[in-house]
Amino acid sequence: MRYFKLLKSLAVFAALITATLHAYADKPSVIRIGVAQQGAGDPPTFGGSPAATVQLQQLLEKEFAADGIKVQWLFFKGAGPAVNEAIADKSLDFAFQGDLPSVLARANGLKTHILLESGVRAGIKIAVPPDSDVHTIKDLKGRRVAMFRGTNLQLVADNALAANQLDERELRVINLDTSSALAALASKGVDASVNDYHVYKLRDQGLARVVYESQSDGPQFTRQSHLLVLDDFEHAHPDLVQRVVNAFVKGALWSSDENNRDALFKLWEKSGVSYASWQSEFAHQTLKDRNSPLIDPFIVARYKAVAQDALKLKLIRQPVEVDTWFEPSYLDNALRAQKLDHYWTRYDAAGKPLS
Amino acid sequence: MSDTAISLAATASGNSCARRIARAWLRSAAWHVAPWLLPTLLLALWTIGSERGWIAPQILPPPARVYDTLVELARSGDLASHTLISVQRVLVGFGIGTLCGFALGAGLGLSRTLEAYVLPSFNAVVQIPVLGWLPFLLLLVGVGEPLKYILIAHAALVPVTLSTLQGFRQAPATLDEVARGYGYSRWQRIVHVVLPAAVPTLATGVRLAFTKAWLALVVVELVASSEGLGYLIVNGRQLFQLDLVMAAVVVVGAIGFVVNHLLDSLEARLRRGRPSAFRE
Repeated sequence: MRYFKLLKSLAVFAALITATLHAYADKPSVIRIGVAQQGAGDPPTFGGSPAATVQLQQLLEKEFAADGIKVQWLFFKGAGPAVNEAIADKSLDFAFQGDLPSVLARANGLKTHILLESGVRAGIKIAVPPDSDVHTIKDLKGRRVAMFRGTNLQLVADNALAANQLDERELRVINLDTSSALAALASKGVDASVNDYHVYKLRDQGLARVVYESQSDGPQFTRQSHLLVLDDFEHAHPDLVQRVVNAFVKGALWSSDENNRDALFKLWEKSGVSYASWQSEFAHQTLKDRNSPLIDPFIVARYKAVAQDALKLKLIRQPVEVDTWFEPSYLDNALRAQKLDHYWTRYDAAGKPLS
Repeated sequence: MSDTAISLAATASGNSCARRIARAWLRSAAWHVAPWLLPTLLLALWTIGSERGWIAPQILPPPARVYDTLVELARSGDLASHTLISVQRVLVGFGIGTLCGFALGAGLGLSRTLEAYVLPSFNAVVQIPVLGWLPFLLLLVGVGEPLKYILIAHAALVPVTLSTLQGFRQAPATLDEVARGYGYSRWQRIVHVVLPAAVPTLATGVRLAFTKAWLALVVVELVASSEGLGYLIVNGRQLFQLDLVMAAVVVVGAIGFVVNHLLDSLEARLRRGRPSAFRE
C-alpha cells in the first residue's frame, strides 16, 4: 500500500516535470544571444556590424515583445574564445562571432549552424607607438606584439606575417584582449598591437600610428563574422530562429543603405567608438559589401580557407568540415519575404562579383 | 597437562605476535595508501564522468586525452622550455621577495620605532591582492619581465616579512637577560640569541612564501606573457583546447607539490637542529 502511494507520487512528479519541460519547449521565456565583444556602456552595446544595428535599434526586442519573450544580449570581454565556453556550457541560444573562434569550436565538436553573415570583409590593423621605428610588417621581427589569440584577428595576422616570410614564433606575441592591448600600446608596454577599428581612437589622440591595414591587400586578408544558432535551440524552435533571422536581415538592409551612412555611424557611436573611427573603418568600402548577410561562394571559400589555415598552423588538430555547417534556408526565406533576393551582390570564391 | 597448557599459551602468544605485526604493517600501509585514495577517486570520477558524457568533453576532456597532450608537449620540447622559463621567473622573484622580506622583517622586529612608522602601512598595502596591482603596474612597468618579478616578489615578501618579524620577537627573554648579564653587545645578542630562536619561524615563512610565489606566477603569466606555464594555460583557453589547459594545470600542480614537499622536509630538519645559544 505504502509502495503504491510512493509510486503514485513519483508518477505525478514525473508528469509535472514533463509538463513543465513541454511548456518550455513551446516558448522560451528568453532568447540569449552571445556577443564576442566586450561591449561598452550600460546596458552594454557594440558597433561595426549589422548585428550591432539590430541590438541598438532593438529590432529583436520589438519582434518578440508581443510574445512576452525577453531578449538577452550577453557580452564577453574574452571575445570569441569566451563565447565558445558559454556555448559548450549551453548558456546561449545564438552567438555573434568571428570565423576563427567558431572554427575552433567546431573542431572541438560544438554543435552549431551558421545562419547568416553579419560584418564581412573587415580588415585587421597593426598599430605602433608614434615614434616607433617599425614601418612595415617585416620590422616586427623579434618585437613584442600584442595579439588577441583565438579571435578572427589572429588568422589574418598570421597570413599577413606569412606573406612577409614571418611567423608568430619570430615575434614575441603577448596575448592581450582589445582594451588591454590599447592600454599597453599607449604606455609603450608593447612594440605593436594587432587590433581592429579600436586603434583609430589612439591614432586620433596621437598615441599610435597605423602601419598596416589588411583589407587593402585583398579578400584573403579579411575576416568575417556571423550569427550562429545552437543546434538544441534550432531543433526546439525553428519558428523563432526564422523570426530572429528576419530581424537580422532587416538590420543588414538598413546598415547597407548608403543614405544611412551618417545615421549608421552616429548609431554605432553609442558603443563608445567615435564617428571618426567608423568613418576611417569604412572609408574605402561600400556599406553593402561590408554588411551583406549573404552566404555566397566567397563566404564558403573564406571559411574553408580559415579551417585549412587553422589546421596548417596547428590551431586545430582535426580538419573541420565546412559545407554542412551553413544553414542558409532561414536566410533565403527572409530574403524572399522581404524581396531582397538581388539586393546584395553575390561574389565568387575569388571575391569577383557574380552576375 | 601442564605441558600442553604451556605450549598452547606459546602458540597463542606467537599467534598474537604475528597478528600484532600484521596489524602494525596494515596500519602503516594504510597511512601510506590514505593520501592516494582521494586523488584516485577523483581520477576515477573524471574518467567515468567523461566516458558517460556527464560533462561535455569540450569543457573537461577525458584524462587519456590530457595525458596524450602532456606526452606530446614533453616530446616536442615545449613543456621543458615553458617550465624552465616559469621556474626561472619564480626563482628570481622569490629570491628578491625573500631577501627584502628578511631585511624588512628584521628591521621591524628589532626596532619598535620603525614598526610604529611602517607596520600599519605595510599591513594596509598587504591587503591588496596581486591582481589588484596588475592594471597599475601594467602601465608603470609594461608587460615585460620586471612586471612578473615585481608581482612574484611582492607575493613572497609578505609572508617572509611577517614571519621574520614574529621570529625576532620570539627570542626568549630569559636567554636575552643572561646574554645581557654576560655583557653581549647588541650585535652579538642578535646573532647568538635572536636569530637562532627565529630560525624555525623563518623557515615556515619561507615555505609559505614559495607557495604564494608559485601561485602568483601562474596569475601573472595568465595575464601577460608570451611563454611559461601560465601562458600555456591561456593559449589552451584561447584556442579552445581544454586538454592543453588541463595538462598545464597538472604540471603546475606537480611542481608546486614537489617543491613544497622538499621545503617541508627542509623546514622539519631546521626545526630539529638546535641553534647555538640553546646548546650551551
